[in-house]
Amino acid sequence: MAAKKASPGSLKLSAVLDLNEASNLHGKLMSMRGSDLVIDASGVDRVGVQCAQVLVAGVRAWEEDKKSFLVEKASDAFQKTMQLIGINIENLVAKEI
Amino acid sequence: MDMNEIKEIFFQECEEQLAELESGLLKLNDGDRDPETVNAVFRAVHSIKGGAGAFGLDDLVSFAHVFETTLDCVRSNKLEPTQDVLKVMLKSADVLADLVSASRDGGSVDESRSRGLVKELEALAHGELPTPSAHAEAPKPAPKAAPAPAPKAEAPKPTDDSGFQPIPFSFDGFDADEETTLEGSTYEVIFKPRRELYSKGNEAALLLRDLSRLGDMSINCDMDQLPALDKMDPEASYFGWKISLKTTKSEDDIRAVFEFAEWDCDLDVKLSEEAASEEELPMIPVPFDLAILDEPSAAEEEEKSVQSADETVAAAVSAAETASSVTKAAARASEKKESAAAAAAAAAQNNAAAAAAAAGQTIRVDLDRVDRLINLVGELVINQAMLSQSVIENDTTGTSSINMGLEELQQLTREIQDSVMAIRAQPVKPVFQRMSRIVREVADMVGKQIRLVTEGENTEVDKTVIDKLAEPLTHMIRNAVDHGIETPEKREAAGKESEGTIKLSAKHRSGRIVIELADDGGGINRERVRQKAIDNDLIAADANLSDEEIDNLIFMPGFSTADKISDISGRGVGMDVVKRSIQALGGRISISSRPGLGSTFTMSLPLTLAVLDGMVVTVAGQTLVVPLTAIVETLQPEASSIHSFGATQRLISIRNSFCPLVDVGRILNFRATQANPVEGVALLVESEGGGQRALMVDAIQGQRQVVIKSLEANYTHVPGIAAATILGDGRVALILDVDAVVAASRGQSLKPEMSLAATG
Repeated sequence: MAAKKASPGSLKLSAVLDLNEASNLHGKLMSMRGSDLVIDASGVDRVGVQCAQVLVAGVRAWEEDKKSFLVEKASDAFQKTMQLIGINIENLVAKEI
Repeated sequence: MDMNEIKEIFFQECEEQLAELESGLLKLNDGDRDPETVNAVFRAVHSIKGGAGAFGLDDLVSFAHVFETTLDCVRSNKLEPTQDVLKVMLKSADVLADLVSASRDGGSVDESRSRGLVKELEALAHGELPTPSAHAEAPKPAPKAAPAPAPKAEAPKPTDDSGFQPIPFSFDGFDADEETTLEGSTYEVIFKPRRELYSKGNEAALLLRDLSRLGDMSINCDMDQLPALDKMDPEASYFGWKISLKTTKSEDDIRAVFEFAEWDCDLDVKLSEEAASEEELPMIPVPFDLAILDEPSAAEEEEKSVQSADETVAAAVSAAETASSVTKAAARASEKKESAAAAAAAAAQNNAAAAAAAAGQTIRVDLDRVDRLINLVGELVINQAMLSQSVIENDTTGTSSINMGLEELQQLTREIQDSVMAIRAQPVKPVFQRMSRIVREVADMVGKQIRLVTEGENTEVDKTVIDKLAEPLTHMIRNAVDHGIETPEKREAAGKESEGTIKLSAKHRSGRIVIELADDGGGINRERVRQKAIDNDLIAADANLSDEEIDNLIFMPGFSTADKISDISGRGVGMDVVKRSIQALGGRISISSRPGLGSTFTMSLPLTLAVLDGMVVTVAGQTLVVPLTAIVETLQPEASSIHSFGATQRLISIRNSFCPLVDVGRILNFRATQANPVEGVALLVESEGGGQRALMVDAIQGQRQVVIKSLEANYTHVPGIAAATILGDGRVALILDVDAVVAASRGQSLKPEMSLAATG
């Protein structure tokens, strides 16, 4: 639930990534700009589109910063939902630019 | 907010939806073919179903589902809403109402009845399916009798009592099609949610999941609009989807998935041209088995919510959001299914609807709070009266500033009071609507055809009056159906339409609400009423009664003319109970009947039971309040205009007509002998029964708004006195029951009223 700051940055996503979490997540990502980031999505039960939007925007931002944005572990629910809403998980998981 | 509160809100909303449903169906029954009416009916059932789904009320969901399916046929013009169809639908609305109340209060619903209706509804939905809708090439599944509990979505059973399930609100399209051919057409769905969709608690991912269940789905997420991370609004909507769906379902089924969201998104569904686009776009195939997305996580969530109080709250809040968004959204739903070309128009419509919704915002307030407020305002009024009285008494210098301040205070008090009273004022509509159900059911039982026509349902009256009105009205309606209206054969023999009409109307008249219940039945059989009264020793065999007096005999206790006692009415506890309840409300009831043409009951009730504008008068040293609404004019009688009539009666001539003079002090037994009219003041009053009387009082003290304090509650009923109040000087004054006094002056004493009251 809480973001652990370490170097490289790592972020464990909340179990429920719904509307209420979107702003939170956005804030966390904003504060972690500028360094490599590892996302742990293993505990995710539910993903809403808005959090997905934030994550995708995050991927792009990290791309821009030329830092790595890596989804290290992903729960089944996370993967399935991402697939459902048409976000290619391959591009997220283990993506390093 | 705990689960029960949310549920309570849901049930309150259900009640509103049920009322909407019933009035819509009745409109349809009267020949209204406005598509908006059909939509309103459909939405009402749909919202109930959606909410019920959220709370795991399976019975309700399954019945609503069948009902909705049939309504959908009406909506899409596949089923003509004939009288017969509507009869089934009205009955279904009744069962739905029963199911709602059974879900709320426990208790059970007549299983056989609801099952029978489910069958009838399904027969309607299937039996007359002419052609599938234009777009749908997919063969409709052969009309097969679905099992009695309607097919429903694989909604996970609630795992605990909270009953919260994050299930989507569409249960459509899960029935029966699985075993039919897996071929079908490919649809192209373009779906772009707007911000509102999310803020109302809907979730695009869930909609997409539902969509994916309809068939083979490939999806392309359009992320072009997504801004940079630092510029984005995390709660806005940027993603859009282009979906290719291969399914056997119809376009309507696809749209049904977006039903609760359609006004918060851009949606386009069309048959794709040979799935060409599939090649061009990097579509991601979506696995059919998405169960992992919801059910297990739902179960987990349930478990967690037991562990963590925080999360329970979060879940409950989101449930509340969903539940209320369902109804809010449904209320705003507008028919947008026609075509994408109408999108602009629809958007405008949406705006208008949204504006309307904003204008008609309401809050729910506990009745106790309003009551407390009203009590306090009552005290304020009394206090203000006391203050002005003491100022007047002590005012020797005549300081105008104090007087002006007092006057302003008085006006303010008055305004506060009016506003507070307006809070309690409610239209009589809900009560009237309940009556239409009673008419239907009772008419069915006794095999008569009866139509209830209501008028002035929006007439507002105090909530307490409304609450207490339902019971006597039910009684009277039953009587009218059972005794008033004749059987169809008799009616035809008498040259009337075989369908009887009962008219229920409400209107405001001189500060009171008048409710009329008229039937076009046979009227009162005066000969039989008279005979019955003689048999029951209510009147002497040789009594000479006017028609009106005979009619009024039916209000006597223990009077019933029904030849056989039925379940419905005729137990002999009817009209006297009605009369007593109406009187307890400070109202009056009268009957007028024309043989062969029907009877009309007229009830007149005070608009509020809390305040009253009155004229404060003195009679034989007592202070009385006469309701201002009854008074036509006041005058100072001259000796020359007083005429004696008979032994004790006197008349006063007013502008060349004579009017009986009634000595209030004598009627109420305040004094033993008649007062001299010339020394007093005459109040010309109009009584409910029509006709004017001059009430004689000793002096007029002034005109004042008084707070009504029930005499019955604190003391006991006093004939001729309606209630009491507290005056500015702290003394108790009695409020005169003008009609009782007038009735008493017609030769009858106040005794009959008293004996009637005593039997209660």
